[in-house]
Amino acid sequence: MRLGKAERRTDQPFRRIWNVLRVGIAQTKILREPIAGVMHATIFWGFMVLTAGTIELLISGVFRTFSYQRFVPDAAYRAYELSQDTFAVLVLGAVAFAYYRRLVLHPRRLEGDNIEHLDAYIILGMIGSLMLTYLLAGGFLAVARPGAVDLPRFASLGVGRGLAVVDAHSAWIGYRVSWWTHAVLVLAFLNYLPYSKHLHVASSLFNVFFSNTSWKGERAAMRPMDLEADVEKFGASDVEDLTWKNLLDGYSCTECGRCTAACPANITGKPLSPRKIVVNARMRLMEKGPLLTGDRMEFLRPMFVHGEGGDAGARTPQQALEHRLLDQYISEDELWACTSCRACVQECPVSIDQLDVINEMRRFLVLSESRFPPEVQPAFESLERNGSPWAFAQADRAKWAEGMNIPTMLQLHERGERPEVLFWVGCMGSFDERAKKITVAFARILQACGIRFAILGQEEHCHGDPARRLGNEYLYQMLAKDTVETLNRYSVPTVVTACPHCFHQLGNELPQLGGNYEVIHHSTYIARLMEENRVPLQTEEGNRLTVAYHDSCYLGRYNDVYDAPRETIRRALPVVNLVEAPRSRDRGLCCGAGGGRMFMEERVGKRINVERVEELLATGADTIAVACPFCMTMIGDGARDKAEVLDIAEIVARNLD
Amino acid sequence: MKIAVCIKRTPDSESRFKIAGGSAAIDETGLKFDMDDFASYAVEVALQLNEKQGPGETVVVAVGPDNVQETLRKAMSMGADRAIHLKADAGVFDGLAVAKALATELKAGAFDLVLFGKYAFDTSASVVGTATGALLGVPTITAVSRLEIANGRGTARRELEGAGEMVEFALPAVVTIDEGIARPRYPSLKGIMAAKKKPLETKPAQLGSIRVAVKSMELPAERPPGRIVGQGASAVPELVKLLQNEAKVL
Amino acid sequence: MPNILVFAESRGTELRKVALEAVTAARGLADGMGGGEVHALVAGPPGIAAKAAQVGQYGADAALVCENAAFARYARESVAATLAERAKAGGYRAVVIPFSSQGRDLGPRIAARLDAPIAADVIALSAAGDKITAKHPGYANKVIITLEVSGSPAVISVRPSAFTAKEAARNARSETVQPALDPGAEQVTVKEIIEGAKGKLDLGEAPVIIAGGRGLRGPEHFKLVEDLADAFGNAAVGATRAVTDEGWRPHSDQIGQTGRQVSPQLYVAVGISGAIQHLAGMRTSKTIVAINKDPEAPIFKVADYGVVGDVFEIVPALTTAVREAKKGH
Repeated sequence: MRLGKAERRTDQPFRRIWNVLRVGIAQTKILREPIAGVMHATIFWGFMVLTAGTIELLISGVFRTFSYQRFVPDAAYRAYELSQDTFAVLVLGAVAFAYYRRLVLHPRRLEGDNIEHLDAYIILGMIGSLMLTYLLAGGFLAVARPGAVDLPRFASLGVGRGLAVVDAHSAWIGYRVSWWTHAVLVLAFLNYLPYSKHLHVASSLFNVFFSNTSWKGERAAMRPMDLEADVEKFGASDVEDLTWKNLLDGYSCTECGRCTAACPANITGKPLSPRKIVVNARMRLMEKGPLLTGDRMEFLRPMFVHGEGGDAGARTPQQALEHRLLDQYISEDELWACTSCRACVQECPVSIDQLDVINEMRRFLVLSESRFPPEVQPAFESLERNGSPWAFAQADRAKWAEGMNIPTMLQLHERGERPEVLFWVGCMGSFDERAKKITVAFARILQACGIRFAILGQEEHCHGDPARRLGNEYLYQMLAKDTVETLNRYSVPTVVTACPHCFHQLGNELPQLGGNYEVIHHSTYIARLMEENRVPLQTEEGNRLTVAYHDSCYLGRYNDVYDAPRETIRRALPVVNLVEAPRSRDRGLCCGAGGGRMFMEERVGKRINVERVEELLATGADTIAVACPFCMTMIGDGARDKAEVLDIAEIVARNLD
Repeated sequence: MKIAVCIKRTPDSESRFKIAGGSAAIDETGLKFDMDDFASYAVEVALQLNEKQGPGETVVVAVGPDNVQETLRKAMSMGADRAIHLKADAGVFDGLAVAKALATELKAGAFDLVLFGKYAFDTSASVVGTATGALLGVPTITAVSRLEIANGRGTARRELEGAGEMVEFALPAVVTIDEGIARPRYPSLKGIMAAKKKPLETKPAQLGSIRVAVKSMELPAERPPGRIVGQGASAVPELVKLLQNEAKVL
Repeated sequence: MPNILVFAESRGTELRKVALEAVTAARGLADGMGGGEVHALVAGPPGIAAKAAQVGQYGADAALVCENAAFARYARESVAATLAERAKAGGYRAVVIPFSSQGRDLGPRIAARLDAPIAADVIALSAAGDKITAKHPGYANKVIITLEVSGSPAVISVRPSAFTAKEAARNARSETVQPALDPGAEQVTVKEIIEGAKGKLDLGEAPVIIAGGRGLRGPEHFKLVEDLADAFGNAAVGATRAVTDEGWRPHSDQIGQTGRQVSPQLYVAVGISGAIQHLAGMRTSKTIVAINKDPEAPIFKVADYGVVGDVFEIVPALTTAVREAKKGH
């Protein structure tokens, strides 16, 4: 881990500790999956509780008469004994279920990426054996020394009942054997730990502490990058370009596969697997680390985890040094398939940030090697020349506003006035025929509410978010810095936008370049206006629509905005039947356009937008509501002729008085 | 191979144009400039030829005021080795004069190949490249969509209207490049950094007398908003009439 | 009174339409300068002499015929040398050539040989004193530039279809001219001419593009688009991304942001709705026609002419009408 780059992760210590308590101890992310979640939580909490017993046991091995009983009140000790037996039984049950699950049920996320099952069986076996030997020891003791085992230890007593056939002497031997087996197993397990993914028990709580993934908003921002730095390369092509935190992520991964199971690219057959990214980073570190440091770090080499797709057969140390994480382990196709939806980050129970590695490697591909899907080049060039990823003239930006009497910031500035709010339209909203309707709808709502707003008009250009998502940090910073300059020049008050990508960029990432603004997404803004009864709606009975709202990733998982759009729909359509797709809110399935994929061709597998639309339509909805112009394009394309797709602003605007 | 590529700095082709006050030039406020599209194909062709054929040198040349240096740097960030800036005023529409300035410079360079874009976006005349080749007295091949060089000889495919012409010639030669031949590479950040340090030489351009000058510029008549001509097959006769008489494309 | 020399471009043993347009343009210029003579030079394989006389019908006073077997192919250096030598010897005021594929290549060569100023791709021509004024669309047809050309001779190349060939019959005398350079000994040797497959024009070159979208319902219906392209004669067939993704047409036919960006004289969009990515590929076409059953389709916002209705009815009707119109071109 010393090979990784430096990084500061000790800010906001209380929040971090809270995360450890919430995500780590309380297992909130683990419990997102009901059955497997309870199973793991049982084993984990059992582990924590039983560790107390293990310590007592081991100490008593050296100091024969040691027991907690000496230090705590009786009632507390009895409660402690009860806890030990209870959890021993529960954990044993959980382990049995775990075996059943792996061997019989074969859940999909435990397949693929060539993950090693043997490791899991060994771990489960050890845990199960520990429980068994504990109970057997207790049972034998109960037979050998009646009275030595108290009532709270009901399970051990029960086992003892079953062992009653054995004579006292043999029972004593049985007890000693069980006890020693248990102790040896504990120590053996500890030694096995570094060789297996069970290492996560040592690293995961630290990983959660140092992780930034549980923050929304600014913490979900992409890592800043100093382009002025006098460095050899930009971005990451191998493990020493990653930070120590990325490497710690590698050690904390248990290969549970929840990330991959939630990945829209993986679900639709693309080569990307977030788990594989993390596991490969670790594998590469194991391979290269010892070669670079000269340390005999062999002890950390996992015996049983090898995985596939990586390790392009480096047979000699020279080869291993010539190879690198990029290309030999992780392919370009995997990296470009990502939609940056953050589902993987959301699901990870140990707070690994898979997206960080993907982003850093994209930056390397673009900045250092100019490698990217060819269809992306026109987007880059157009951004550079036109300030928009599409070939439309900046002069046409405000054409949608013709006849609507909307002032520009420049006009107000010249009159010495300031608007209440700046409406940032964005490139989609300015140029795309379908998205322009959303823009107009929202503008009408603002006008109907009497909000004094302005637009930048021809002074608006892309802030560079698509370039950043695609790894082109250089182009991004050029555009973003200019945007900050413009916004600062006008001392922009509040910004409202109908595009979640703009929302995220302006509010969460521009601060990295000195732009600090209050940015509100139109769903939140409209909901607020409705709350204040400022939106004149005519809510006649009319048709009862069945509306499925599709959560936008950059609104939802990135910024925790789930309720405002739903609220908006409900208030605009009082008799609406609002239905939820199975994968919604923070489990929402991406439409497929994020991470710059809007500008790329989808050539492999099933189309992500089709997969999502099928799910939305299966709810029986006749209308699909969205809050993002990219989602509008993707969902609209997939739902053509099958359902009406409307932006929430359009739903509200339709019902304006 | 020693290859020279003559490039030009032109406004972005997507721009909306306005005429400047004096009406003899376009209004440059707010316009973005970059390497002319066809010129960038030519640069890409040169870079690929030198990559394929072993060690060589790619030199880029541009005629114009100081701002063309930005474009020369862009070419070097793509991989060109050095640049020559022939200093002259902006907006020269006398293609032969520019060709003379270039020919004077190129003659001294002993280049195996000189590449141009087929035409430049602003002047849209297809003059400079061909005229330069004629002045240098070397084989000159225009509108090339495929180019191969081997053993001091070249084969090329030229695009005619609706057909292709395969030609052969000996080096040194001047070739103007059509589209479809190569996608200009996107400069990496590394390339951009390196370009800042590559050599760029400035000298005055020897244009001679300018005999083609801009008297005025104007915008073409506004494209009238489109209209629905009619419904169904019955609208066809009207459409054909409009295409013949109004649009004059039939 | 100044005389004008014209290059009357030919193909095989036929004069091209652009040649007659050039003669008309030259005639107009000569008349504008006091009514001098127009001499048209024709270079072609044996047999061209018979057709050369045509130039008289359009205002030429003399047909200068240069017959040589090697002129069956485009002998650029020889034609340039011949024209230049004749221009110098004859003391012409201007040399007018068509701005065709050949003419683009030819013009600068002549200018270099004559050390003459050249104005290319001209759409309007007049003379004022000792200057020739030429209008030329620059900046991808977005700006009309009025140029003043000083010096004699001047080389002017005229845009095809900008000058309509006008009958102005004269009694043209015929003169034989020898090529100034052996057309068989060019530095650039033509190995072969590859005719476009079934006249398959490249999207970038084609003056007309007929493009089909999802509204055509299936690959078999693309025949409608091909027939219409056929009727135009100089049209290429394009497609939208939706259609190439489905595999109905090859990817090389795709017009749009991630495909080809085109700017033909005429773009006919058949069954195309007009998504932003498609529009980015064809918006700068000179004339856009849209045929779609949905009157709200975004394509109608950029089209000059739109027809709403069933493409399966409209396109065949249009094909027939275009064929009719094209008769006698």
